Amino acid sequence: MQSRSAETSQSAHGAAMTTGRGVPAAGNEPLLRLDNISKEFPGVKALSNVHFDLNRGEVHAVCGENGAGKSTLMKIVSGVYQPSAGTISYKGEERQFASTRESEAAGIAIIHQELNLIPHLSVAENIYLAREPRFGLGGFLVDRKKLRADAKRCLDRLGVDISPDRPVRGLSVAQCQMVEIAKALSLEAQVLIMDEPTSSLTEQETGKLFKVIRDLKASGVGIVYISHRLDEMAEIVDRVTVLRDGRYISTDNFAETSIDQIVSRMVGRSLEEKFPDRTSSPSDEVILSAEGLSRGHVFRNVSFTLRRGEILGFAGLMGAGRTEVARAIFGADPLDAGTVTLHGQTLSISSPRDAIAAGIAYLSEDRKAQGLAIKMPVDANMTLANMEAVSNRFGLIDFAKHAKAAKDYVDLLNVRTPSLKQPVRLLSGGNQQKIIIGKWLFRQSKVLFFDEPTRGIDVGAKLAIYRIMDELAANGIGVVLISSELPEILGMTDRVAVFHQGRITGVLETKKTTQEEIMRYASGYGPAGAARTMHG
Amino acid sequence: MAEITDVSKQKSGALSDRKKDIIQKFAALGSLFMLIAVFSATSSAFFTIDNGMTVALQVTSIAFLGIGATCVIITGGIDLSVGSVLALAGVVAALAVKDYGMPVWLGMIVGILTGSVCGFINGLMVTKLKLPPFIATLGMMMIARGVALQITGARAVSGLGESFGELGNGSLFRIVNIGDDGFPTVVFPGIPYPVILMVLIALAVSYMLNRSVLGRHIYAVGSNADAARLSGVNVSRIVNFTYVLSGTLAGLTGCVLMSRLVTAQPNEGVMYELDAIASAVIGGTSLIGGVGTISGTAIGAFVIGILRNGLNMNGVSAFTQQIIIGLVILVTVWIDQLRNRR
Repeated sequence: MQSRSAETSQSAHGAAMTTGRGVPAAGNEPLLRLDNISKEFPGVKALSNVHFDLNRGEVHAVCGENGAGKSTLMKIVSGVYQPSAGTISYKGEERQFASTRESEAAGIAIIHQELNLIPHLSVAENIYLAREPRFGLGGFLVDRKKLRADAKRCLDRLGVDISPDRPVRGLSVAQCQMVEIAKALSLEAQVLIMDEPTSSLTEQETGKLFKVIRDLKASGVGIVYISHRLDEMAEIVDRVTVLRDGRYISTDNFAETSIDQIVSRMVGRSLEEKFPDRTSSPSDEVILSAEGLSRGHVFRNVSFTLRRGEILGFAGLMGAGRTEVARAIFGADPLDAGTVTLHGQTLSISSPRDAIAAGIAYLSEDRKAQGLAIKMPVDANMTLANMEAVSNRFGLIDFAKHAKAAKDYVDLLNVRTPSLKQPVRLLSGGNQQKIIIGKWLFRQSKVLFFDEPTRGIDVGAKLAIYRIMDELAANGIGVVLISSELPEILGMTDRVAVFHQGRITGVLETKKTTQEEIMRYASGYGPAGAARTMHG
Repeated sequence: MAEITDVSKQKSGALSDRKKDIIQKFAALGSLFMLIAVFSATSSAFFTIDNGMTVALQVTSIAFLGIGATCVIITGGIDLSVGSVLALAGVVAALAVKDYGMPVWLGMIVGILTGSVCGFINGLMVTKLKLPPFIATLGMMMIARGVALQITGARAVSGLGESFGELGNGSLFRIVNIGDDGFPTVVFPGIPYPVILMVLIALAVSYMLNRSVLGRHIYAVGSNADAARLSGVNVSRIVNFTYVLSGTLAGLTGCVLMSRLVTAQPNEGVMYELDAIASAVIGGTSLIGGVGTISGTAIGAFVIGILRNGLNMNGVSAFTQQIIIGLVILVTVWIDQLRNRR
């Protein structure tokens, strides 16, 4: 497995790596080098023998599926974790960072996916948080003038036009990211770790970010770039390292590899196996139809139908209104106008309880915040939406029925848990998702909205979730799949409703469409009549 | 491969979790037994049936309030008003008997319902007006105390008649022998009515939390209110119920306390809410919500009660007692934090 194909341009330290501690000529010494890094948590080996190195003025991407160990590796670099084994050398010296404070002081800055800014403070205050320039009363007061000027200088260096006085809460995600980068620059960072920096940026904002990255590169900063968006990497990435299941797989010059090759190394199998064969096929019978759904500016005049045996995709960019439509049908948010018909009956839904009683279920994109009672055990979560079925008329729980229901669905969905009493927070993402599915199956739901069901779930578990979706459809349950991952939409659905700014701009036959066509509709360029003509 | 490592992680996590749970339970119970042992050794009058009943009686008010507090805290709320509400309830019961000539039992029920109404208002403020529970019940704490003082003119209500004292001072199975000399000797002091009530209520609420759908929903709301709502749980109704329960138990506490004194004091019950919260917290209830048991709270109430009683018997001043109880709360919550750190 340990192929190392990047040694063409890195022969000097490639040799150094194999001998472990050898010190190559000063000029070739990488800025940062990790050798044989392993990290164990109680019961899990998160990383084993991972190699990684970063040169000055280089963008080095780290790729891998969720759970491959990317974050753990970066947490080791930034001092959040200490490695169980292996060495870190930084600027030619062997180092151990005991905390992020130490790594920051040494010039290693990390920009997390979830940005860590304080909304109520200004841009300048955020950049210099806990490092404010001081004066007077023994350094008790903040030197506001210097703070402002220093912050302005950092922002100018990035070429971004954000006033240092603005409170952060009014900034867009892209602007917040720039503030984070400015903060890193103010630290004189020489290593900048960026975790999924483009995940919530528009194309234009991404372009701006890349320009900043190129400038940083030119000034000699080494950048570790973690992203799922492989297609974007060609623009800025020099080398790419792939991790899988905590193991080192390869390092290549980006120009000498291909996205397919990277993906197959990440996944460890070819792409075709990522989706199961569909066993169900749509019939003409309509299960659910929505007509003219509107809510304020969030979505307008949304209509679609869902047929028996069908998996309907909701595609679109973030904020296009997909989740909002599903939540409104589920009664979690109010609806201004429109009707929802289920099996021929028009529903009147004002709360999730009404929707659940009617047989509609919504699986939130945020499992931990909205899907599970995280401290409660497997069985309690499995039965939570249908306590009537496991209790008598006095509201007392029948524990025999309760245990049987939980066990039935644990077995049916092949949930891996040591016991029914295991708190769900200790389960993996895939198993948590299965429990939520089980909860709605036990409730005898007729329509399930899956909102980003495979986010943060490893490959094997993804396949299991897809299989379950297919089986549900085959058993006559309506399935709506909301997903931002187009391959998932193309691999699993029969039709796709594409959302753009709160409207459905097109309903496409999955077999006849392409990623490009969906993207065109998602950006609002598709022909307007498509939605009506394609309706079942 | 990934899943196998996941499962092994779960197993080790579960084991240590369960161990920690047991340690926590035993830590509280163990320290309770340790207290009993220490006080028995230092004071000969401590480990007697008489004193046992005295402690039990003293513990009842903390326990009533603590049971209500536990339910509220499990949902992620807090009830600061119970000390004032119990004073208002007791005063209302006394006035109903004295000024309106109601029979004692009816006056007591009116008092208890006063507590329920206060709890219901707390619940509405939290669920409908969306006030933070801390603020809503802080307001109620001041208002209820103010009303209690207002309607009594800040004077104690006395002259309530002996029957008003029956609930607080009577006991079941009291055995008294009249000796040859005509003096009575108490063979068994009897089980005071409040103690019987405490046991019954603790069992009933514990049963409700563990066995009923309502109880399951209380834990679910505290564990994750959003997820509970999206699973079809009527979150507002559940939260409301816990405040009504807490208010009702405060009303009962008020009636019992005033009955013991056979006088209604509008200044009774100051700071009792903190004892109630302390008993819940010592018993392992998490202020973040989702976690807590009645058995734990009962242990917590007895830890506080026995500390007070035993320290009194050993002649420790009231001020020192406060310091010691404060330290006990800090240490137990710190142990709880250790348990939850991962």
